[in-house]
Amino acid sequence: MLSSAKHNKINHSAFSISSSSSSSSTTSASASSTSSSLGQNKSQVTMEEVWKEFNLGSLHYHRQVNIGHEPMLKNQNPNYSIFQDFLNMPLNNQQPPQPPSSSSIVTALYGSPLPLPPPATVLSLNSGVGFKFLDNTDSLVASNPNSFEESASFGCFAKKRGQFSDESRGDRRHKRMIKNRESAARSRARKQAYTNELELEIAHLQTENARLERQYEQLKMAEATQHQVNKTLQRSSTAPF
Amino acid sequence: MYVRRTSFKDSDYIRKDCERVKKYICLLSRGDPLVVGRVVGDVLDPFTRLVSLRVTYGQREVTNGLDLRPSQVLNKPMVEVGGDDLRNFYTLVMVDPDVPSPSNPHLREYLHWLVTDIPATTGTAFGNEMVCYESPRPPSGIHRMVLILFRQLGRQTVYAPGWRQQFKTREFAEMYNLGLPVAATYFNCQRENGCGGRRT
Repeated sequence: MLSSAKHNKINHSAFSISSSSSSSSTTSASASSTSSSLGQNKSQVTMEEVWKEFNLGSLHYHRQVNIGHEPMLKNQNPNYSIFQDFLNMPLNNQQPPQPPSSSSIVTALYGSPLPLPPPATVLSLNSGVGFKFLDNTDSLVASNPNSFEESASFGCFAKKRGQFSDESRGDRRHKRMIKNRESAARSRARKQAYTNELELEIAHLQTENARLERQYEQLKMAEATQHQVNKTLQRSSTAPF
Repeated sequence: MYVRRTSFKDSDYIRKDCERVKKYICLLSRGDPLVVGRVVGDVLDPFTRLVSLRVTYGQREVTNGLDLRPSQVLNKPMVEVGGDDLRNFYTLVMVDPDVPSPSNPHLREYLHWLVTDIPATTGTAFGNEMVCYESPRPPSGIHRMVLILFRQLGRQTVYAPGWRQQFKTREFAEMYNLGLPVAATYFNCQRENGCGGRRT
């Protein structure tokens, strides 16, 4: 609900924002199809009702606070029935459901894919009175991207400043550190692997050496005993004469 | 380990052998060079050595992690394969998993050599050189050059890939039903005038 003072302020601001204000006033006052300045009194009354119902204050508030709050909009409830009601307002004088109506309008415009109903109503409005409504929504669409763009650019504000900002320098240093760390780890693994391999070689060679030594001693002992047996000279076969 | 009638001296030997064997097993399980050097991981899955594999470049026998320069590995090495049954055939694959650079190996792996139908107890000279030996010339960094031995299911069951880059040893083994490797070894190779990983 809006206080009257706020309401007036909004009226002024609405009027100051050129296209949207006029179109909104005209759309809201579609019952009275006059431009803003002329039928102001009459339109103000109807506008009051309408604006009250639409809770435009929240929309204006959102516009100002929206920079950097883009996700908030997206998370809010995309209530398409509200959008429909918004479009149907001048025709039916229905009361649209309450608070985040304006924001949900915006989400309906931006965030999620629109289901069939809104386009249908848009088409139906096209022919008749609601044509100005379209202008209103268009202008709404037109004005809001500014806030979105700002919020989007706000994130990469640092980048826009130039290549040699603190952030990119830190990033590069960080990447370099990680690379160096990996390289050092590889180097340590290489060294450790070679050391292990050498130790294995040593163990293997020592075992083989021991085995061979033992074999040699065995053979030596066997040869010695054989010599003992064969100490006496013996006649072996010679030429056959 | 063999059992026989022991004298005092022999028991000493046997005790020392036990210690050495224990150390050997301990080293293998904890610090297998293939695991520490991340060959098992980057290129291969964990496997058990079943067949002996001796790779010799000139006078130098390749031990895991040995540092060699391109000039020392210009020509194909002499490879001796173990095993016992001449009816078994083996495939030898030589890949470089660190192309183009170990810090950014996006072309992993590069196939340097492929020899199939190697009969057991012989060497690559008796096999079928499907992809001829390309001498390693790493442009940057210290590359691991891995030689892997697979046992084939039968003769003439393995074929060469279309190109050397982006070779995947695991997929290659699966495609030709080679299973897990039976032996593997690797050495490190870097540019001829590389600093050996040390800046000073």
